[in-house]
This record gives sequence, structure tokens and C-alpha cells, in this order.
Amino acid sequence: MKMSKILALVLAAMMLVACFVGCNNNGGQTNDNSELAGTYDITMWVSEKEGVADQFKQQIAAFMEANPGIIINASIEGVTEADAGSKVVADVATAPDIYCFAQDQLARLVQAAALAAPGKAAADAIKANNDAGSVAAATVAGTIYAYPMTSDNGYYLYYDKSIISEEDADSLEAIIAACEANGKKFRFALENAWYTASFFFATGCHSNWTMDEGGEFVSIDDTFNSAEGIIAMKGMQKLAKSSCYDSDADTFADAGAIVTGIWNAGAAAEHFGENLGATDLPSFTVDGTSYHLGSYSGNKLMGVKPQTDAKKAAVLSLLAQYLTGEECQKQRFESFEWGPSNKNAQASEAVQSNESLAALAMQNEHAIPQCQIGGSWWDIAKVLGAEAKNAKSDEDIQNALNNYDTAIGAWLDLTPEQRRAWTVIGQVNGSNWDVDVAMVESPENTWTATVELPEGGEFKVRQGYAWTHNFGVDLTDNQGANFKVEEAGTYKIVFSWDGGNYGDVNVEITKVS
Amino acid sequence: MKRLSDLDYLKLNKWQAFWYKFALFFCAIPSALWKGIKKIGGFFKNCGIAVKDEFVDIGSTFKRGNWAVKLSFFIFGFGNLFYGQVMRGILFLLFELVFIAYMVVPTGGIYWLSKGNWFQKGATIGTVQGGFQYNEVFDTDVWVPGDDSVKVMLYGLLTFIFIFAFIYTWRLQVKQCRICMDITAKGKKIRSGKDDVKSLLDDQFHKTLLALPLAGILAFTVLPIIYMVLVAFTSYDAAHDGYSNLFSWVGLDHFNELFNFSQGGLGLTFGEILSWTLMWAFFATFTNYFLGMFVAIMINKKGIKIKKFWRTVLVMTIAIPQFVSLLYVSKLFTTSGLIGRVLEQIPFIHNWRVANNFVSLWDSPTVARILLIVINIWIGIPYIMLMATGILMNIPQDLYESAKIDGASSVQQLTKITLPYMLFVTGPYLLTSFVGNLNNFNVIYLLSGGNPIKGTAGGASVGHTDLLITWLFKMTLGSTESKYYMASIIGILVFLVVAVLSLIVYNVIPSTRNEEDYK
Amino acid sequence: MKKQNDNKIRKTGLGARASRRISNTIIYIVLIIITIVWLFPFVGILLESFKTETNMQTPYLFPKEFGFDHYVKLFTKTDFLKWFGNTAIMGVATAVLQTIFILSMSYVLSRLRFKGRKALMNMMLILGMFPGFLTMILIYKVFADAHLIEEMAPLGLIIVYCASSAMGYYVSKGFFDTIPKSLDEAARVDGATRFQVFYKVIMPLSKPIVIYTILMGFMAPWGDFVLASYLIHENSQGMNVAVGMYEWLSRTNMNTHYTMFCAAGVIVAIPVVAVFLALQKYYVEGVTGGAVKG
Repeated sequence: MKMSKILALVLAAMMLVACFVGCNNNGGQTNDNSELAGTYDITMWVSEKEGVADQFKQQIAAFMEANPGIIINASIEGVTEADAGSKVVADVATAPDIYCFAQDQLARLVQAAALAAPGKAAADAIKANNDAGSVAAATVAGTIYAYPMTSDNGYYLYYDKSIISEEDADSLEAIIAACEANGKKFRFALENAWYTASFFFATGCHSNWTMDEGGEFVSIDDTFNSAEGIIAMKGMQKLAKSSCYDSDADTFADAGAIVTGIWNAGAAAEHFGENLGATDLPSFTVDGTSYHLGSYSGNKLMGVKPQTDAKKAAVLSLLAQYLTGEECQKQRFESFEWGPSNKNAQASEAVQSNESLAALAMQNEHAIPQCQIGGSWWDIAKVLGAEAKNAKSDEDIQNALNNYDTAIGAWLDLTPEQRRAWTVIGQVNGSNWDVDVAMVESPENTWTATVELPEGGEFKVRQGYAWTHNFGVDLTDNQGANFKVEEAGTYKIVFSWDGGNYGDVNVEITKVS
Repeated sequence: MKRLSDLDYLKLNKWQAFWYKFALFFCAIPSALWKGIKKIGGFFKNCGIAVKDEFVDIGSTFKRGNWAVKLSFFIFGFGNLFYGQVMRGILFLLFELVFIAYMVVPTGGIYWLSKGNWFQKGATIGTVQGGFQYNEVFDTDVWVPGDDSVKVMLYGLLTFIFIFAFIYTWRLQVKQCRICMDITAKGKKIRSGKDDVKSLLDDQFHKTLLALPLAGILAFTVLPIIYMVLVAFTSYDAAHDGYSNLFSWVGLDHFNELFNFSQGGLGLTFGEILSWTLMWAFFATFTNYFLGMFVAIMINKKGIKIKKFWRTVLVMTIAIPQFVSLLYVSKLFTTSGLIGRVLEQIPFIHNWRVANNFVSLWDSPTVARILLIVINIWIGIPYIMLMATGILMNIPQDLYESAKIDGASSVQQLTKITLPYMLFVTGPYLLTSFVGNLNNFNVIYLLSGGNPIKGTAGGASVGHTDLLITWLFKMTLGSTESKYYMASIIGILVFLVVAVLSLIVYNVIPSTRNEEDYK
Repeated sequence: MKKQNDNKIRKTGLGARASRRISNTIIYIVLIIITIVWLFPFVGILLESFKTETNMQTPYLFPKEFGFDHYVKLFTKTDFLKWFGNTAIMGVATAVLQTIFILSMSYVLSRLRFKGRKALMNMMLILGMFPGFLTMILIYKVFADAHLIEEMAPLGLIIVYCASSAMGYYVSKGFFDTIPKSLDEAARVDGATRFQVFYKVIMPLSKPIVIYTILMGFMAPWGDFVLASYLIHENSQGMNVAVGMYEWLSRTNMNTHYTMFCAAGVIVAIPVVAVFLALQKYYVEGVTGGAVKG
């Protein structure tokens, strides 16, 4: 009995503590009346690279000099830009006031309300001062949400001049041959979707996502699963099946050639020494046609966390503008070779003559600006590299691309019911292969819909708003030819299949009127 | 299944006996289930009776009680104070006051309870959604915070617990008050506060010792677990993190995803990861166990010198923090690592790698798994070796002497005395280490990180060597989706799996309970 | 004829001794191989930490140029000293608190009988089956409000390590079980309270398990990565060595920090190994006394 009493008391005490803790979460505020003057304690996440944080500290000191009255106590942490977004999203409340991130995370951050959009004046300044690609990268549904910091997030080729001639560096096959002959590695991170896409862009495939204002992805226009996609996969196979291929492009060990970006410029110089060569990506040849590898061009952005205090928000915005301004970008280029997004900084002589940035600029002619991409795409698409490597036949390649399609379809905000449901698509109800007509399930595994069809109208039934499982006239063949009706009219379509063999599919089409 | 008589059972050899027990266990499941159901039924019946008794008792206490007892129905501890138990009385009263204060203050219990929309499917947890407001003066957006679903749920939960504690305490002090009345009526002396304090160091000593550890467990294990179970019924993920966007109650909706057995579906993925997790735990436990024991026997063999040195060498792996040694070892095995390079020189391995288009050894699911198990031996053997050393020293020497007189060879001594003795003594350890391996986060995460990658499920990428626990980690921290609700559903499943396995293992392996019989 | 017989006898006599010698030789060979395999990574870390000619992984083990550059850099250019201090503080605090928690719990369960004892043990067994780190999601949120994260993470982590540590009572309970009950009873007969029995009779006999528990508590924070990375939230002032150093082997840092990681690894290993080897005897006694009885 008494034991339980103690328990109850302990619990009560704990709850008291918890209550006090819970009620007390408003930090102190300064009450200075002059417009923005005051002391601000802020937290920042910047690149974890050595020296970056120190430079930001100096730049903040310069900012304070330029804006007398504003005193900023910044605590700066190094967090890799690639992860900063997902760490912010995991808990927005405790996120830092200012953080730098790679642009691919912008959508998630907007969705999680983790970014305060710059004010009108600030947005205009961003638009005026930065290159178009970086402004686009900071924009979601027409609104600028972040401050462009660099325009160098792309990849190109570093190679060993002693084994690969300048001409050979233009051809994937020649580089592979040279590496194999010299026992060197060709390092290319094909199992990372950001690099995998290179081959697909080469053959003209694209993958564009559309997002609504809430930052939710609503659709994708993706042509990876196509004849061009198969060529891309075959090109990838050339490299992946070679004995010199290594998917680890973060280390230089034994590298004869490596596809990486400006962040590894220092390491590349150390590894290759005087034999360092930097150029755009090579071309590969499939069935006699040559395709120049594409790439993503991307940016690093600086974001400001939403603030409850308008004054602090204004100061943070001012600071972010300063830190991403021409002067600071130039300094960063000098210290770390970060390619600026600011137009004036880009035009400076030093930037123009940088070897790595020159290679990046060459590659940028074949690059696609990396706009907003659904978070899971990175996981879905990175499998393609491994699939290309393991594929033993064209069929394997096709299957890999089909799986890719399915995975994306499944991800695009379908509820489990929607993913399971069958729909009619085609020239139904006046649409033209762009609207799915829902079917009603009753009893289980039997689906019914009534649709209007024109004369000679064609349609198919498909599952989960995707083409993975779809049926036409040949019920034993998933992906066969379309159904077709002779006369115009209203038709009742009954589809039944328990998900077993294709032979068990049953479709009845009856004219109602 | 036919049950053997004790005599027949004793005739079986060890293996037969083992399989007999094994089979017996499974055959007993249906009847055990039925018994369990009956037991649960009985439990509820008993509960019902107990609750009824309580109410009857409360009623009669009120009827029989004097005015002091009656008043203590409303004022906590009044009866205790009345009968001179000042300390208890004050504590009870204090509890009541704190409770009432907590419930009615502006952001107190009632406030939190009213915000929760408790268990209404589709309703948000918390009622005010935060949002941006444009500030003209400073030309900037300002965040106007709303409710935080996480906090609403937490403080709501705490309030529920508090209310429960309140009712319990109320009942406790009413009962104590009546007992005091009865004792006084008999003319006996009531325990004083001084007695209470004294007894805490003597016959109530366990309460003193347990207070702190139990409080810790309640606050840091029980409460978070209850909370996580609740999360399984919500839509808590990165897109609905509670602070920026409220999350809501979704009932059992997310559990449906478990029944998705298509490629990349949660059900299938769970099954695949589970089977590897079990395989891993089995091999990790038993390879370590037998090899470790073997090494211990070797070191302790008569005539082997510098025993202490050999032991110290092995113990180094325990002493050096795992993240240092494991991270280093994982880098050794990459293609650019030292061992990776050496292995590459072996034609057989090189040819096999090229034929299968694997870049490095970690690329092949099978090889990666084997590597993990092998490296785990490196980590695990020392523990077992130390333990086995201790046991070897404890084996009664007369057993060996009498064996020697009977002419047993050293191999026979090993198989007939040493090994069986160890098996019996270390039975429970095997179970703990099996469960420990099911949740062996460090080894997998630091060595392979779950790679090679297989696909995605639950909003996170999944690899061939992922254990359930590393998958959970990826789901919560390692992805931009952070599907907390999914993680908590999987967490519940993991609990079920571990519980069932423990039950089986407990019933099958020899344990200390039999130690007496054995001797 | 006779001579041959003699030979035979000597042969068998020799044979037994020879076979023992052979088996011992085999054992020595195996043990030497084990030694090499077990020590290789440690020697490797040590050697690589002295490589001054590079920051990256290299195909050779022995440094071309010996030097302490990485060590110097470690203490002058990074926050390593802070991390090391944090971890050491956590180690000591956890060792003390966790020992109090575990020993109280295991002593009570082993020596005292009271209502609800079995239920308590079952409860802890069941709770232990939940994947523990899921609880961190909530704990993080609560600690964030209480300012026990980021630079205060070491304090938060001490609380986390200790609060539920009593659930790991098994080994020490096993140890207490081996102490004869008659000792308690004799003391009780002499009029000692239970507290006195605990303090004056049992504790003096429990030196191995106390030291074992302290040792385990001290070592835990040095290797913890999951819980720590949660609460530290990227704040370099609050990091423990594991979280701080993990970043150095990330994709972007690997080529500039690999050898420094090795140097830091050596420094981290020194205190832990020293403490461990000094107390190894008690560790063995604790494990064998406790784990097997569990």
C-alpha cells in the first residue's frame, strides 16, 4: 500500500516539474525602440568544412560594423548542407535561426513551414542580383523562400592527364579503356540518384515535379521509363560492368578518373598533383549514336527560420542578405572555391579563371537546373544504378524501369485504397487519356464503372493510377493493346481479378444505352 | 502429441530430449492459448469483482465512518491529521491542493485535455494551427505559433495519469482513515510519522531503495512507451510535425500498410527484414558463443603459458569504444581499404567479383551479411571468453578427477563435462544475448549502414543488411519523411516478435532452474 | 625382442607427451593468429595516426613520415578537447549515478521479499522488449523545452543513461544471489535493521560487482552514438567523442580528416583501456558471478 503511495507522490512531483517546464517557453525579448538596434542571440548552421564557420564569424563582425546598433551573438555549427534540411524538418521548433542547405530540400522545408520567406524588398534584391538558375532554385510556387548562396552544386570530370589524353576525356569508352589498362579506378557514384540522372539527361529523358503552394508534390512528368531510358541504362552498364568502375566517388584512392564536384577540388589537386585535368563529362555511344552526359546544376541556399518576433525576423533577413551578398560570396570563393550565385561575383576575374569552375561552366551547357524534386525520388531513382549493374538482359532493364515508375506512382500521395483501386482511362467521358475514372468495388475484387465512349473510343483499365498493372483486349498480357468499342454510347465495364495470374482476369463490357 | 512418462523421458539422449521439449512446446500452444484466454477472462472477472468490492467498501466506510472519516472524503488527509498522523495527513493534503491547482491554472490539466480531441478519428490534436502573418513595418513574415500537437498529447497524457493517481490516492487515504478509526476503536496505538520514517530503513527498506530507480523507469521508459503507442494512431511525420502543422488521429488506418505485400510494400519489407534480423541474431549469438567458449578452453588448457597476455589481447576489443574500432574496420574492408585491397589480390575473389559485377565486397547482400557476422565474432568473442573463463574455474575439480579415474580421455572430458556444464549455466545469458543481437544497432549501423540498398519502404531506404532497429532509425532520423507513426507501428511489432521469441526460448533452452537437477 | 618391447613402451610414453606437445603447439599457433587478427586494427589506427604525409586512406600501413601533426591539430584546430571533456564528465557521472540505481534495484530484488516483486520483475522484462530508442523521440521534445539539449546535452544524456538504467539489474542481481542468505539472517538476529545489513554486511562483500557496475557506467558514454546524436542536435559544444568524430568519416570529410580520426581514436582509447585493464580482474569476477546466474 505505502509503496504505491510513494509511487503516486513521485508521479505527482514529476508532473509538476513537467508542467513548469511546459508552461515556460517564452524567451526574453529586448525592448529597444530604435528601429532594428538591439542585441540578438542567434544560432546558425553552415557547412562543416574546415574554416567555413570562422569565415562566417568574420563576416558577421563586418555586418555589425556596417549596421551600427545591431549586435549579434552568433553560435555557429558545422552541419553538412546535404543533411541540414532533414535535420531541420525533424524538429522545426529547435532548428537554428539561419541554416544553409542544398536546394533539393527546399520543398520539404516549405511544407514543414521551416522557412520564412524574405520580405518584398529582399525578394526583389535576390531576383536582381543572382543568376536565373539560383533564383528558380529558391522559388516554390512563385514565392522566393531562401537566399541563394552558391551556384556550383554540379559535377564534372577530374582525370589523370598522365593516362588519359584530353581527347580521350571526351569519351566514356576511352576513359574506361584507359583506366582498365592502367589498373586505375573510374569513380562515379551511379548509386546516388543525383549522379544516376546524368545518363538519363544525356538521352533526353526528363523528370519534372509539380508542387502546390503548400509544398506538397501533386504530379510528376517523368520519361525515364522509355526507349531513351533504356539507352541510358545501357550506357550506364558500360561503365558499371567494367572492372575499373567504383561507385564510391568520395574517395580518390586509385582514381584515374572521378566524377565529382567543386567541394573535392582540394582533394583532387592533392591526389592528381600536376597531372590534374578537369573538364566536362564525356559522351557515351550506344548503337552508333553518341550522347553527351548531362548533369544537375544546383545551388546552395541560406534559409531563415520563421520567427515570432518581427524585429528579429527583419534583422535575420538583413543578415542573410548580407551573408549571401557579392562581397561575402567573393570571400567564400577565395577561401573555399565556392562558385558564386551573385552575378557581379561571377563576373570577377578570379572566378572566371578558376579551372574547376571552368569545367563546371562547360558542363553547365549540358546541365539541367535542379528544381524541386520529391524527397523520395532520390531513394527510388538511386536503385537504377545498381539495377543497371546487375541487369543481365534487356528484359531486366525494362523491369527496373517499370519498378521505378511504379514506385513513383505509389509515392505520389496515393492513399493505400487508391493504390489498390482500379480505374478506367482513355477516351472516356470526353477525356483523352488524362483522367482516371474511378471504379467501384463490389463484391471484393470486382470493380465496376459506367462510362461514356465515343465512336471507336479506346480505353484501358489500370491499377493505382499507374501503368504497372493495366489491361486491354489481351487479358493474358499486362500492358497489351487498348480496348476499343465500335459504337458511341454508355458502357458498363466490369473488371475482376484477384491479383493472381494474368489468365484469371475477366472484363465484361456491356452497352447500357 | 503423446506425452512421455518421466521414465521414458529420462531414457532419451540429449538431442532427443531437446527436440521432445521443442515439439512439446509447440503442441502445447493451442491449449496454452485457450488457457490464456480463460485466464484473461478470469482476470477481468476478478477485476470486476475487485472494483465492485471497492465500491461496496467505500460505501460502507462512508456510512460507518465518523465525521472525520466523512470529511476526509473531500479533504485529503483530514482523517490522518485527526488521528495524529500529521506527516501523512499533510502529504495527502498537499497532493490534493497541487492536483486542483494543476487542473485549473490557465495552461493546466483542463486546458490540455480540452485541446486533444482525444481519439476522434480525423480530428487534429491541438486546435490552433500556427501560421504566417505579414508585418508591414519590418517588411517580413512573422510566425504566429499555434498549438504543438506533440505537447498537447504529452501533457494530455500526463493529465490522464495524474487524474488516475488522484483517484487512487483518494481511495488510499479514505481507506487509511477508516483503518485508523478501527484501530482507535480497539484502543491500540496508531503508527506515528516517526515510525513511518524509521521503517523506511528497516522493514520498508525496499521502498527507499526503489523510489529513485522506479521513478526513473516510469518517467523515461513507461511514459515514452505509452506515448509512442499512441503515436501509432496518429499522422505524426515530418510533414505533420505538430509544431508547423498539427497532426491528427487516424485510428487504425496506418496499420493497413502492414498488409501491403507487394514489392516495396511495408508488409513484405517487414517480413524480409525480420527474417534477416532473426538470421543475424541466431548466427551472431551462436558463432560468438561457441567460438568464444572454444577460445576460453584453449587459453585455460593446462600447459598453456602467459594466459594473462592472451586474455588481455582479446579484452582490448571490449575496452576500446566500439565506434572507433568498428568505423575503422568498416573502412578497412572497402575497396580502397587495406584488407579490401589484399582480398582483391586473390584471383578467386577478384574473378567472382567481376563475374557478378560487384564493385566492392559490401555490394553483395550475401557477402555483406557474412562479413558482418565474421566481424561480429571479432567483437563478441572476448565477452564470452571472459565469462567462460570464470565458469571453467568454477567447475568442481572432483568431476574431472573421477572422470580421469574412469579413464575418460581429454576429449571425452570436454564433451561430457565441460560443455554440458557451461551450456546449463549460461542458458539465460544466451537468451539475453540473442535479444541483444536482435537490437544490435551499433554493429550494423557503424559497419555496413544497412547497405547494399534494396529499395524504399516506410519513407526510408532499406538495405539488405538492415535490422529492424536500424530501419527504425532510418525511418525517424535518417530520412526527410520522418514517419514517426510508422516507426511506432514497427516498434510495436518488434516488441511482439521479441516477446514471442523470448517465450519460445525460455521454454526450450536449459536454464538455471535445472541446475540443481543437473548436479 | 626385449629391446623392441622397451622401445614400444617408450614410444607410447613419448606418444602421450608428444601428442600433448603437438596439441599445445597447435593451440599456440591459433592463439598467435588470434592475437594478430585482434590487434591488427588497433595497431593500424595507431600507425595511421602518425602519418603526416597525408590526410586520406592509403594503401600502405606504415607512415612514410612519422609525426604528431594530427595530434597537434586535434587540440589546436578542433573542438576535440571539449568533446573529450564532455564524455569524461558523462562517464564519471554516469558511473556514479548508474551504480546507485542498479545496485539499489538489484539488491532489493535479490535480498528483500515484498508484495509486487515478481510483478515488478516481469514489468521490467516486458519493458525491455520495446526498441528503446523510440522513447528518444518524446524525450527529445521534453528536453528541448527544458533546455537539456545542444550545449546542455551532456547533462541530458547523463539523465537518460541513468534514469532507466535500473532495468539492467540482471548481472548484479545474479551476483547478490550468490552471497549466502544466512549472513543476512544472522545479522537480523543480532538486531540489525535492513539498512544496516545492506550497508555493513552485503556491501563489503560486493566489491567486484560494484566495480563492475562502475566500469560499465563509465564506458557507456564513450561509445554511445544513437541517443547522443539525437540530443546533441549538431551543437559542437555539447558533443561527445562518438558524435563529433563520426562526422569526420562522412563523405565530405573523409579525405581531409581520416588520419585525424585515427589520432582521436587513439586518444579516446587510452583512458578507457587504462581504466579497463586496471579493473579487469573485477570485471571478470562481476561477469562470472552475475551473468551466469542472471
